[in-house]
Amino acid sequence: MNLHENSPIRVHDLVKVYRGKSRNPVKALDGLNMEVARGEIFGLLGRNGAGKTTLLRVLSTLIEPTSGTAEVCGRNVVKEPYRVRQSICAVLQENAVEVFLSVLDNLSTYGRFHSIPRRQIRERAESVMAQFGLEEYRHQKVIDLSGGLKRRVQVAKVFMVDKPVVFLDEATTGMDPVNKRATLDAIREHARQGRTILLTTHILQEAEELCDRIAIVDQGRCLVTGDLAMIKSMATRAYDINVTFERMRPEILETASRYPLLKLRSTSTTLEMSVRGSEVSTFALLDALSHVEPIVHFEVTSASLEDVFLELLGTSGKEGRAGEKS
Amino acid sequence: MKMILAVMYREYRIRTTSLTWLFYDMFMPLTYLLIFGIGFESAFAGGVAVAGDRMGYNAFFLAGVLSMASFGIAINTAYGFFVDRDNGIFYEFLTYPMTRSEFLVGKILFNSLLALVQAAITITLGAVLLGLALRWDLIGLVAFGQVLGTAGWFFFLTTFAIRIRRNDMFNTFLNVAYFVLMFGSSMFYPVESLPRWLQAVSFVNPLTWHTDVLRYATIGAGAAEVVALEGVAFLCFLAVSFALAVQTIRNPLRA
Repeated sequence: MNLHENSPIRVHDLVKVYRGKSRNPVKALDGLNMEVARGEIFGLLGRNGAGKTTLLRVLSTLIEPTSGTAEVCGRNVVKEPYRVRQSICAVLQENAVEVFLSVLDNLSTYGRFHSIPRRQIRERAESVMAQFGLEEYRHQKVIDLSGGLKRRVQVAKVFMVDKPVVFLDEATTGMDPVNKRATLDAIREHARQGRTILLTTHILQEAEELCDRIAIVDQGRCLVTGDLAMIKSMATRAYDINVTFERMRPEILETASRYPLLKLRSTSTTLEMSVRGSEVSTFALLDALSHVEPIVHFEVTSASLEDVFLELLGTSGKEGRAGEKS
Repeated sequence: MKMILAVMYREYRIRTTSLTWLFYDMFMPLTYLLIFGIGFESAFAGGVAVAGDRMGYNAFFLAGVLSMASFGIAINTAYGFFVDRDNGIFYEFLTYPMTRSEFLVGKILFNSLLALVQAAITITLGAVLLGLALRWDLIGLVAFGQVLGTAGWFFFLTTFAIRIRRNDMFNTFLNVAYFVLMFGSSMFYPVESLPRWLQAVSFVNPLTWHTDVLRYATIGAGAAEVVALEGVAFLCFLAVSFALAVQTIRNPLRA
């Protein structure tokens, strides 16, 4: 099996400097490295201007990198842009629809561009219109639709075709919760069929729910890459443990303080603690506390992706670029 | 070829969403000939001279109307980049599985077909309504000139439409280009009757080359060797414009 069959997206030491007309060139990508495995949903997270969209533009052959290499399905984006385009479809950040055409015509023309046999175009268009709740708008011109509906048309298009790699740049922006759910389901379904999906989003909950692996990007570099559990484990505050007793006794606090806790606070009946998973066994702690006083209720909450995100980017923002970890 | 046909299909779908616009587009050159041409035919009752031959103004102006129509279609098609950019679809297009050349050629092939229909309407009804004596044996050359002319101007304007990101700036550029190219050419008057400095402008103006070829093909006016040379010059202009347009669209974000 070729390398690209395992990793359809491979980026090595990618640099993109925007020179433009201004005196100060902007380094949008600064030695970025990453690989995305086949059938994986890979999320790129980062603040505005972190380099996510630039990376998608390079990978979709809209711009050329300043240096480094990027390959899609084993094809170099600079040397073989046409071949790369044959294996991708993309939802770009901007709304991209044929406003003068109807919803159905938008889907039909997209199908033609992606070489779907003519007799299958209608069938596939019907299928995605049903999936994205567009059936009642099929003959309506897109110019008359709301922003959210336009976005739906744009996203629905990419699920008409069977390209091995899909780029989604903030695909669910402007969608209502129901259609957002339909989009996430479609993404998952297509990944299950073996399509590789690279997406950017600002909605961390969405990334948490959807992505197999995540990269947090800042100032054109990957600060961290890994699966959700691995990334969450990087948070300083790894777990919150809240334990409720019938009554709070001093021995409870005494027992808890024997453990290396990051936070310890008590109310009249509840003990609030934060622990780092690698340093304290949650079960051992609960067991010790239950021997002091019967536990009425307990809750263990792991750190959210948002915690890690804010922690990593908060630091890199204040103290300059953080080291690359993966 | 599949991709070129897909681009043509897309252009066709968009054009046919407004039949009024399409109708106006098709009959505009004839209207120009009927109003402007007849007005000037009356004003220059003695006709105009080209390479020593005298002819009526309408016969002279027919080629001007055809080249103006080509130029107009090229402007509309190039302006389409702004519309596509505003709708976000332009950049998405460039991620589709086609080469940049296929994209440009598909766009212009469809619009050249429109130019051909325009020319057919203008020539046929012009001949019937105004009694123009035409060189029907050279009608193939008219078609050829109309397609290549539209393509040449489209490729020329594409480079500017993609480089100039601002709609208002492109409008200004078009106004200046339209004014200088049209009035500094043989479109409205014979070059021989112009002052020397304007003749010099006209001789290096591709719109003159295009119009002269069409004039020769419609009414046989002009010296064949000069027109042939102008035809070759226009083909060079087309080739250079195409290369520049493809080069420009390879880096559409100017990044």
